[in-house]
Amino acid sequence: MHRPSLSQRWRGSRNLLPALLFLGLFFFAPLIGLLLRGVLEPVPGLGNYEQLFANSAYARVLFNTFSVAGLVTLISVLLGFPLAWAITLVPKGWGRWLLNIVLLSMWTSLLARTYSWLVLLQASGVINKALMAMGIIDAPLEMVHNLTGVVIGMSYIMIPFIVLPLQATMHAIDPMVLQAGSICGASPWTNFWKVFLPLCRSGLFSGALMVFVMSLGYYVTPALLGGAQNMMLPEFIVQQVQSFLNWGLASAAAALLVLITLVLFYLYLKLQPESPVGNAR
Amino acid sequence: MLLSKRVTAVLSASLLTLACQASQAADSLNFVSWGGTTQDAQKQAWAEPFSKASNIKVVQDGPTDYGKLKAMVESGNVQWDVVDVEADFALRAAAEGLLEPLDFNTIQRERIDPRFVSDHGVGSFFFSFVLGYNEGKLGANKPVDWSALFDTKTYPGKRALYKWPSPGVLELALLADGVAPDKLYPLDLDRAFNKLDTIKKDIVWWGGGAQSQQLLASGEASLGQFWNGRVYALQQDGAPVGVSWKQNLVMADFLVIPKGAKNKDAAMKFLANAASAKGQAEFANLTAYAPVNLDSVSQLKPELASNLPTAYAQDQVTLDFAYWAKNGQAIAARWNEWLVK
Repeated sequence: MHRPSLSQRWRGSRNLLPALLFLGLFFFAPLIGLLLRGVLEPVPGLGNYEQLFANSAYARVLFNTFSVAGLVTLISVLLGFPLAWAITLVPKGWGRWLLNIVLLSMWTSLLARTYSWLVLLQASGVINKALMAMGIIDAPLEMVHNLTGVVIGMSYIMIPFIVLPLQATMHAIDPMVLQAGSICGASPWTNFWKVFLPLCRSGLFSGALMVFVMSLGYYVTPALLGGAQNMMLPEFIVQQVQSFLNWGLASAAAALLVLITLVLFYLYLKLQPESPVGNAR
Repeated sequence: MLLSKRVTAVLSASLLTLACQASQAADSLNFVSWGGTTQDAQKQAWAEPFSKASNIKVVQDGPTDYGKLKAMVESGNVQWDVVDVEADFALRAAAEGLLEPLDFNTIQRERIDPRFVSDHGVGSFFFSFVLGYNEGKLGANKPVDWSALFDTKTYPGKRALYKWPSPGVLELALLADGVAPDKLYPLDLDRAFNKLDTIKKDIVWWGGGAQSQQLLASGEASLGQFWNGRVYALQQDGAPVGVSWKQNLVMADFLVIPKGAKNKDAAMKFLANAASAKGQAEFANLTAYAPVNLDSVSQLKPELASNLPTAYAQDQVTLDFAYWAKNGQAIAARWNEWLVK
């Protein structure tokens, strides 16, 4: 097997310089400055991290962040998978239409979409009024200013991020493979679990991980649709930065978020067979 | 020779630009506030007359962001000259050395209500947290004071309270629990949170004025704690909204000058004008926020005067900004802990 020499493999990396310089100056330098505050302010040391882990409230905030991100990922996958499948299966023109609708929702202003959910979900909102008029419920359901609202709003926003990679993966699957499966005697069910799903794996993983990581850092939607009880890490950071000027603690929390994201990103790369750290098979 | 000529030309050109910048700087200042109708009114009542009289241009900027203010002062590149901030923040920022001391030769301190002036800030306006309620939801059952918030039998429905750990919510809980107004401070946090626990599931939190109005007018919340100007605006629009001024809780905004502001002198003049009897009265007439200048009251529109906190000085409780400036951080930690519990 021919293995290119190191210098050969890294040839052309000089073209990375402009991007590296840009990122270094405008992203890494400020990021490092920010993270340093976590150990320097108000007094040098690990006091901020100690505070972050010792206080049960902050642990709760962290827990909220993860459970919301996890729930949103689960729901987006459950809703996004059939959608992506439908887009792949329907006749071509229709598939493009469906895809365009998904994209259109992604291009609309986030704030406008979040407020529309508020209008739909609130106690005197469209959904509650309709349900009450139909006599299905007597008192309005509480669907906003709590966890339900956040999960509904965020899942909706995240669905495109799962549909796009999944659809691309499904599109690339050769239908003959499935046919071969059924010819060999697999029931549709077995065919789905043993053939189709494993082939979707890369799209499913990249989509789900992207949604999970994005959800960890989401601010606007939880701030508007959530109740104060379900505070998530980004909202906590904003509170510390803007209201209390407690940048040390905020930066420690931000560092935690960055660290978690990096770990997840590493796992993601590990799972992608073609990445440099992946388990090549 | 040619080269030196060119160098001189470049030099003088750059000097000229510098000079232009300097003179431009002296003739303008940046005013930062919260946006919306409040800032529009500040522009109309303060900035425009001020520019006309002094020839100093006032550039509107915003919204107020405490984090940004701190970052500017720390980096030494201060773009903001006058900033509208909450009273407790004004005192805290002064203690942290983020603000310029004010020049009380330019600003007339004597005629400003002493509650709303400090060495580093002068009142922008003041307002009250009042008990607002939706008449359609509560019918003839009119709530009187803060204890109504904790009586879910007589007054069913959601309670709208201010979301941030800042002066107001804890005080009203203690007042409702029977603490005398002059015994409020230092706040008995355990008692306040215990009281709030009794209605925790009935609270819907609001983070801004527009949101609070939406909650109250739609009946999403039957009653709650609101900024008086916002309830007044709803009433003007004909919404079925009532208000009780009993135990109204006074809070204020201050105007401050960040340390190292580039147009400090112009900013001082601006503050003197904004805090003057006329500036304060005009702003109040536009917004239904109350004037901090004691001489403004006589210049208020008669139909408005009865809707301002100035008319309800009896049975009024002024929130202790200084106490919050000192203890806000510790209270916030407790507050978060209680919220997510």
